[in-house]
Amino acid sequence: MRDEHAMPSRARRPTRAAIAIVCLVVAAALVSLRAVAVNTPGASVGEVDRVWGRRGLSEGRLQKPRAMAIDSQDRLYLVDMTARIQAFDADGNFLRGWQTPTHKNGRPSGLSIDRRGRVLVADTHYYRVLIYSPQGELVQTLGGKHGYSPGEFGMVTDVVQDSQGNYYVSEYGEYDRIHKLAGDGKFLLEWGGHGSEPGQFMRPQNMAIDEQDRIWVADACNHRIQVFDTQGTLLDCWGQQGLAAGQLQYPYDLVLGPDDTLYVCEFGNHRVQKFTRDGQPLGAWGTFGRGEGQLHNPWALVRDSQGRLHVLDTNNHRVQRVTL
Amino acid sequence: MWQLDFTCEHPWWLLLLLLLPWVWWFGRKSMAGLGRLRSAWVIAIRTLVIVCLVLALAEIQLVQTSDRMAVVFVLDQSRSIPEQQRKAMVEYTNEAIRQHRRDEDKAGVIVYGREAAIEIPPFDEDVELPQLVESVLDPEHTNLAAAIKLAQASLPEDSSKRIVIVSDGNENLGDALEQARAAAESGIGIDVVPIYYHARAEVSVEKLAIPSDVRQGQPFDMRVVLNNSAEATAEDSGEVSGVLRVSQTTEGQPLTLSEQRVTIGPGKHVFTLRQELEQPNFYTFEARFIPDDRRDDGMSQNNKATNFTYIRGSAQVLLIEDHLERGQYDLLVERLRSQDLEVTVRPTNQLFANLAELQPYDTVILANVPRERFESDDLIEMLVRNTEQMGAGLIMLGGPNSYGAGGWANTELEKAMPLDFQIRNPKVLPKGALALLMHASEIPEGNFWQKKIAYEALKTLGPQDYCGLVHYSGAGVTGADWLWRDQRANGMLPVGPHRQRMLALLDRMTPGDMPDFDPGLDLALQGFKTLRDAAIRHMIVISDGDPSAPSVRVMNGLVAENVTVTTVAVAAHGPAGNNLLQKIADDTGGKYYRVTNNAALPRIFQREARRVARPLVYEKEEGFGAQIHYPHEILSGIEEPLPPLTGFVMTTVKDSPLVEVAMLAPVSPDAANNTLLAAWTYGAGRAVCWTTDAGQRWTTNWAPEDWESFDQLFSQMTRWSMRPIAEQGNYTMAIEQEDGQVRVIVTALDPEDEFINFLSINGAVIGPDMSTDALELEQIAPGRYVGAFPAEGAGNYFVTLSPGVGQAPLRAGVNVAYSAEFRDRTTNDALLKTLAELTPQDGEPGVAIGTSEASSLEDWLATNVFRETLAIPKHRSPAWHYLVLLGGCLFFADVFFRRVNANFAWVPVAAARARDFVLRREGEAPKTEYLDRLRSSKAEVGQRIEQQRTAARFEPSPDIDPADAPLDEIKPESSRSEQPRAAPKAGGVSGPQAEEESYTSRLLKAKERVWKDRQ
Repeated sequence: MRDEHAMPSRARRPTRAAIAIVCLVVAAALVSLRAVAVNTPGASVGEVDRVWGRRGLSEGRLQKPRAMAIDSQDRLYLVDMTARIQAFDADGNFLRGWQTPTHKNGRPSGLSIDRRGRVLVADTHYYRVLIYSPQGELVQTLGGKHGYSPGEFGMVTDVVQDSQGNYYVSEYGEYDRIHKLAGDGKFLLEWGGHGSEPGQFMRPQNMAIDEQDRIWVADACNHRIQVFDTQGTLLDCWGQQGLAAGQLQYPYDLVLGPDDTLYVCEFGNHRVQKFTRDGQPLGAWGTFGRGEGQLHNPWALVRDSQGRLHVLDTNNHRVQRVTL
Repeated sequence: MWQLDFTCEHPWWLLLLLLLPWVWWFGRKSMAGLGRLRSAWVIAIRTLVIVCLVLALAEIQLVQTSDRMAVVFVLDQSRSIPEQQRKAMVEYTNEAIRQHRRDEDKAGVIVYGREAAIEIPPFDEDVELPQLVESVLDPEHTNLAAAIKLAQASLPEDSSKRIVIVSDGNENLGDALEQARAAAESGIGIDVVPIYYHARAEVSVEKLAIPSDVRQGQPFDMRVVLNNSAEATAEDSGEVSGVLRVSQTTEGQPLTLSEQRVTIGPGKHVFTLRQELEQPNFYTFEARFIPDDRRDDGMSQNNKATNFTYIRGSAQVLLIEDHLERGQYDLLVERLRSQDLEVTVRPTNQLFANLAELQPYDTVILANVPRERFESDDLIEMLVRNTEQMGAGLIMLGGPNSYGAGGWANTELEKAMPLDFQIRNPKVLPKGALALLMHASEIPEGNFWQKKIAYEALKTLGPQDYCGLVHYSGAGVTGADWLWRDQRANGMLPVGPHRQRMLALLDRMTPGDMPDFDPGLDLALQGFKTLRDAAIRHMIVISDGDPSAPSVRVMNGLVAENVTVTTVAVAAHGPAGNNLLQKIADDTGGKYYRVTNNAALPRIFQREARRVARPLVYEKEEGFGAQIHYPHEILSGIEEPLPPLTGFVMTTVKDSPLVEVAMLAPVSPDAANNTLLAAWTYGAGRAVCWTTDAGQRWTTNWAPEDWESFDQLFSQMTRWSMRPIAEQGNYTMAIEQEDGQVRVIVTALDPEDEFINFLSINGAVIGPDMSTDALELEQIAPGRYVGAFPAEGAGNYFVTLSPGVGQAPLRAGVNVAYSAEFRDRTTNDALLKTLAELTPQDGEPGVAIGTSEASSLEDWLATNVFRETLAIPKHRSPAWHYLVLLGGCLFFADVFFRRVNANFAWVPVAAARARDFVLRREGEAPKTEYLDRLRSSKAEVGQRIEQQRTAARFEPSPDIDPADAPLDEIKPESSRSEQPRAAPKAGGVSGPQAEEESYTSRLLKAKERVWKDRQ
């Protein structure tokens, strides 16, 4: 009897081990499949977490919003075609709003937050940068005169600040260049120029600064990303025009991700692409349309403290929050 | 907010549920063998099946009800509402929404004048109406009915519905009461907020009457009728004092005839002024009352009245010339004057403003004037109506800016002329190509203007010309795209066969925000490259200038392809945008326009599109001859040979038997394109086309000093086209207006001053908007004929009547100084209260809010317009199909439970094994007791199977010989025996098989015996 009982027991152990191995293999396969999906160009890398925003002119409504910034407390600032700058919490609840001094010539098309939490507004068609307190009080103005000379701007698209407090102002139109200004607005240097050679720009629509103070530029009409150091030396330049995964079509905004990744918002391809910082595609999210998870000419994106992306779905007059 | 309920469409089907007890009794009896638990389950399921089917037969419906309110505020924006009251109604609307709207209630706003428009659609939030409404309305009328109808349509179905009318109630279009009744029948409640005029009196100039038969040098009386609608009280006599001024305007020169102080008491007052007109001309008179204190008079708009008359002299001719090329027709003017014609020359920047100003002239000459000099199509329509309805002549003189070359193709004027201004024969004319690039998304109503511009450009192009439109669609690699294209993806298509398609696509065009000029210009460049036969290549870019600059490659390509690019900066973003657009134009030889007024856009595009239409001009330096093609009255006394000429504008003769082509220039193979002189009768007037000039650039040999027939040709041309003059009979036409109606009275006498009876007098009325309506007069007395037509809008009304065949038309005009809006000077309380008293279906009547003139905003807000006194909306949705589906599923469960004895004993065993596996425990050895039970169960099952097998096996009964049994008794036995026959596997003949064979052979024998017996 003892032997009879021992035999089934021995026989059962390998069976159980086999089942356990199968389960492990299945789990590993699922994980790796997901990893493959994330790392396959063209595969969707995100899921819609929240969609908010409604077209309109009253408080909290949006009328073709074109620029967005996020502060350290995850408050979103949006500017739309009524030249209103409106602040929302990360869930889209309206906090406050104000309007630029004048917008007859055109509306701002760039927003960012400096290291003191102030809101930097690229007042594109007035050739200047407006600096507001988070409460909407205008505290400083940089530029304001159209021209080519130092301190004069073309159509300003974005402004960012490095760790030393210097401002970098991008512009397009006749000149397509980047200015470097000291914290007090004093002109330091400029680089770029209109063209498609490396180091030149055609509508540098947005910029981002990484941990090493490198300036990442979304060179929209050249359909590429360029990287510079603080002296304007070109460090990297990648991207080509197209619809396929890894190609770009009017990249309008970019945001730096963890683990040396980069997210690029494409106006023309109605999507957000994830890249390694040397330009290898890791995946994409978004297609053209009006439904949830679809985009219509997105202009901007930001990343909050929880790693969620907020995509400004411009022609759908809304914001989509994506978890990755 | 939503509540659910049920209802049945055919409740009597529910009586079938009374059968349920019988079902239970029957089920209990028939399913006793299933055991108590199973039979209870089955009976319960069967009960549900029956209930589902009965409810489905009764057509059960889900009913959703809601206590949500939807209120639409209907605001009167007609001119009769004083400015102060308009502000008050906006303030009231915003406050009412803010104070009374609950969370899910919806509020919307509709504004109306002649038509209604949704200012804010019903929204479930505190919408804020701006002080200035954004909808574009015609405020000259009040169409409350249209507003109620629109409100009814815009109210959502899922709410109780109410319309709040804020108005003075003085409607002059539509029937508000009828529309409100229809709304009430739909369960819509109506509240009204009457608007009162806060003025102690209201003085209006009702009429300025001038006799219809004013003659040169003959004194006549003008009568001015003033009305004060105030009522005298003990405290206030209602009198208003002020100044009554009567003035006269001739050829743009005003002259004050009288200015007197008057005091107007309540009621009507008539003032008479004697006047005499010495010179033949057109005279406009105006009477205006100016109160000393503006607060004494409610409305200022009705304080004036105008009228006009003209004294006929000798034949009058109006020659319109291009104000940028003044004097080019001086020679012609001088020669016509020498022929006893009174010629007035007007440059295009001093054109006529209305049809009345054209009435003194018997013919109008359009002398080499391009289309874009006319600021609006209305002026062109006036010229056409002046000929078609009023009988005046219309002559178009040639030159490089006339006909198709002047952009006149596809206009109203072309319809009135005997020639078409385009060439349809491709062999005659080189082709042009025009590409449009649209990027005007940021200007106000940008898409509207882009469409309008494209329409105008398309109209100007000929059928052989190519046209393409590039916009940013976001599609494809670059995002730039053709709006229309052929199968080979070429977007530059000939206009002729594609015009309708192009217009249809334009209607649907929604260009996006173009980031970059380069792809768009490149696409156009590729389109031009495919056109080898296009002699003229032009491109027009409309933009705010903020796309990125085009590349050098594309710009060089455009230059190499001889494409000129004209850029139009609209709402450009300051110098940066302008500089870029100017540079594109400069680099390609195009023009640069900076537009601050969008209304100028179509004219710019007409002018630019004419560049492509230029080939219509035929010029030959060495000259070519002209031939008389038909001896028209205009050419009477003029004989060949005619002098040579060096150019003309090519056209196409209209395919109409009325067209008389009098002179040709045989230069192209198609004679239809060679017309120099053509004429026809158009409506009541005559039109003449002269496609070359008059003694200048192309006809220097035709000048009077070289050709003696110059004066004869042009004076005969002018005289032939002139309005006919009455020669027989004596017709007097009087015209008078009263309360929105114009009466026309004609008295007809023959040369012997005897009444002419039984005439059929009819004609047409041309309104201020150039619309034409038929008018027929009835005879009411010997020689007296009367007709009437409504004249609600302000402006000039012209009547032209034909008294009979061969008779010159009768003409008269009347001016309505102000619209019907200003006739009513008190609030129409009666109508508004009637609207409020209408009882909506399943609801309570509305409320007339603030019915006193002293009512304040607080009084208005005291009434909650979101109150729940109306029918609760019910939304019914049928549910029978779900019940049928559920019943079907339950029926399956019923059969399943009856047929299958489900055993759940495996569940605890499986659970124990799973637990052991997870906890990595050794499985407990099967208990002996359990094994015993299992063995006993096994034996029991084995016995049962054996019994069944035995029962299924055929064992012949010793008492009955199967051969003697009837066949139908044997059959069932044989069929039952087939089941075990299939079970045995191959491998030798088994016992049962042998038994079956013997049975079969016996059966066969039995059958054979039966057949033998039958035989």
